[in-house]
Amino acid sequence: MLKGFTRKFKPLEILTEEHVEAIHRGILDVLQETGVRFESKRALKLFEKNDCQVDWSNNQVRFPPALVEECLRKAPSSFRIKARDPKNDLIIGGNTVYFEPGVGMQTIDIDTWELRTATRKENYDGVTILDALDTVHFLSCYCPYFGFDNVPSVMAMLESVAAKIRNSTKAQWSGYQGREVFVIEMAKAAGIELLGNIICSPPLTYYGDGVENIFRFIEAGFPIDVCGGGTIAGATGPATVAGSLIADGALNVAGIVLVQLIKPGTRVIVQGGAGPQNMRQGSPAFGAIGGSLHNVAYNQIFRHYKIPIMDAGCYAGSSKRIDYQNGYEKAIPAVLAALSGANLIGFHGGMYGELSWHPFQAIIDDDVAGMIGRFIEGIKVNDETLAIDLIEKVGPIPGFYLNKEHTRKWWKKEQFVPKVADRLTYPEWMKTGKKSCLDYAKERMDEIAATHKVAIPLTSSQEKDIERILKEARKYYKEKGLI
Amino acid sequence: MSNEILENLKKAILEYESEKAANLAREALEKKIDPAKALNVMTEAVRQVGDGFGRGELWLPDLVGAADAMQSAMPIIQKEIERKGMKVETLGVVVVGTVFGDIHSIGKTMVCTLLAAEGFTVYDLGVNVTAEKFIEAVKKYKADILAMSALMTMTAPEQRKVIAILKKENLRDKVKVMVGGGSLTEEFAKNIGADGYDPTAPGGAKLARRLLNK
Ligand code: B12
Repeated sequence: MLKGFTRKFKPLEILTEEHVEAIHRGILDVLQETGVRFESKRALKLFEKNDCQVDWSNNQVRFPPALVEECLRKAPSSFRIKARDPKNDLIIGGNTVYFEPGVGMQTIDIDTWELRTATRKENYDGVTILDALDTVHFLSCYCPYFGFDNVPSVMAMLESVAAKIRNSTKAQWSGYQGREVFVIEMAKAAGIELLGNIICSPPLTYYGDGVENIFRFIEAGFPIDVCGGGTIAGATGPATVAGSLIADGALNVAGIVLVQLIKPGTRVIVQGGAGPQNMRQGSPAFGAIGGSLHNVAYNQIFRHYKIPIMDAGCYAGSSKRIDYQNGYEKAIPAVLAALSGANLIGFHGGMYGELSWHPFQAIIDDDVAGMIGRFIEGIKVNDETLAIDLIEKVGPIPGFYLNKEHTRKWWKKEQFVPKVADRLTYPEWMKTGKKSCLDYAKERMDEIAATHKVAIPLTSSQEKDIERILKEARKYYKEKGLI
Repeated sequence: MSNEILENLKKAILEYESEKAANLAREALEKKIDPAKALNVMTEAVRQVGDGFGRGELWLPDLVGAADAMQSAMPIIQKEIERKGMKVETLGVVVVGTVFGDIHSIGKTMVCTLLAAEGFTVYDLGVNVTAEKFIEAVKKYKADILAMSALMTMTAPEQRKVIAILKKENLRDKVKVMVGGGSLTEEFAKNIGADGYDPTAPGGAKLARRLLNK
């Protein structure tokens, strides 16, 4: 099992108990009075069978509050997910904090900062880097790239899953819009579990191809990510944080109800990641602090429901470069997510709003995740760490600690040492070519590429299966005219 | 008196008051005010908000608010213009929608708003619009321009399909096609035989003018 990080102190809470109650009441009320639109006959029938009120003229489902609360209770508060290497299994929930990478539609040219499609090699190398980074615990859907050179778009997800199965032994999530049929087969061939995902489309809507998939995942016995559509406050949700918490929360809770009705006790993780709209460009305001206000409160509410939480609001800022802005727009939300009880944080490598990803960024983010992880592990307090005897023994100047056994024993446990941060003195820095963290990230990337091997390569029969499934999928989509 | 009503109609739009704008439009017609004049002040108001947005003084909610207020008064005025047998003063008719399989709506809605602000008559077909629906609307509204939005590499090819059907139905030379949306490039647009592409909604509105030489 991968330990990840453990938050050793109380989570950050920014809502009062009355606030939480008010939002919970709002969620129940919206679910009962207005309900949620589900464009899936199969889901609607199941809701109807379970005493929900289904309006077949507009596919809107209204939920009895008692059923909603019962379903929230049925979801386990923590669960294990199986990776290819048992050492990489995760136990998600409680006060554990794991990280997963961000995603990007394309890569960037580091000299011009312009977008371009990644090559197959870059995608596979990207997975290798993610496999090597200690603070990457889980692999996201479509990471690192949303498709690469010469991959027809309908095959992008399947090629992405295959790359991650081949070049990594970490667990991953994926699968919707019909592609789940093939990715579930691949998972079985590799002997892993996949986290499936139900996709909402705020406001208050689920489309068919983002819902029907979970019937298949649950049948396969896999856990489900109830993927918050990323309500955009002011566009697809109310402009107020409190209101968007209700709109977003109601949508997610409806998804959890569906999962629990399909099979009670199914493992779920709920995915937040809402934030304000950029009122000039119309896009989500990636990296805005309003997103953190939403997510911290969201985490508080879903901890109250005892449902594990994924926080997808930290994987990208609005900057097009690997620069100061990208740093603060990712790091601040990630710190706040970890403090407030997110169990899985989307983070490494993502840049402008899911549109770009870069390995240098992922390697720098490994340091940031390490810092955050170190912080939430908190302060160890016992006789030895309090060091009263030592302080008294060393006394005032010329007392000194560098040569003490206590220092040798403890400093590495207490400190986090970043791998690619520039910490040189000025003279050293001048002499070594004035390098920045970007230069060091490149060096680390080259080193990983030269030395890192996936711990357990696929067996030749597993490899054959993956190739066969990809081939079948290509044939299937060709016949459908999609390739 | 008539001036005062028109002033108020303009003000209602500048203050994003949909209901008030519709009521004032009705009042204007009752008072026998020339509907063409009413249409003019409305277009002027929205253009003023559009310019404010362009200068960075106003924001999206202002722009959409003004466009909505105008859209609520518009059908009332338009009906009167048609009843009188006058021609609706418009830069052209544009049918807009997000293509089949794609439910991304935000960019498409911005395009609609800015086209309306520019002075076009806009029919928003919504999201997940099938090729058949696009064609039907082009015929029904006698569209000068068909504007399609697609945000995903998977759905962008739908636009090629729509263009192919336009050709088959001998409509291709009657309507200009413009395309946009996050996953598109100029090159792709050229490739599928669109008449124009723009990466932004404000640019899209200007592009529409150019396509009709207005
Ligand atoms: C918000 C969002 C959503 C929301 C949409 C809410 C809504 N009501 O629209 C939700 C959560 C529902 C959603 C769902 C999905 N999404 Co989405 N989404 C986004 C996101 C984050 C922002 C899109 C957006 O609104 N941008 C802001 C608007 C203003 O930009 P725009 O539409 O491009 O419009 C501008 C211009 O392009 C132009 N324009 C637009 N249309 C037109 C038309 C003409 C004629 C002209 C001239 C100009 C023009 O004007 C606008 C402003 O100037 C993008 C990532 C990103 N950063 O772009 C992903 C993204 C588009 N989504 C993606 C995907 C894969 C999906 C899903 C399949 C799964 C998922 N990730 O949840 C589903 C798809 C469901 C479906 N069948 O369509 C991918 C697409 C990848 C690809 N290459 O195919 C993206 C790129 C994210 C990613 N990297 O994975 N999504």
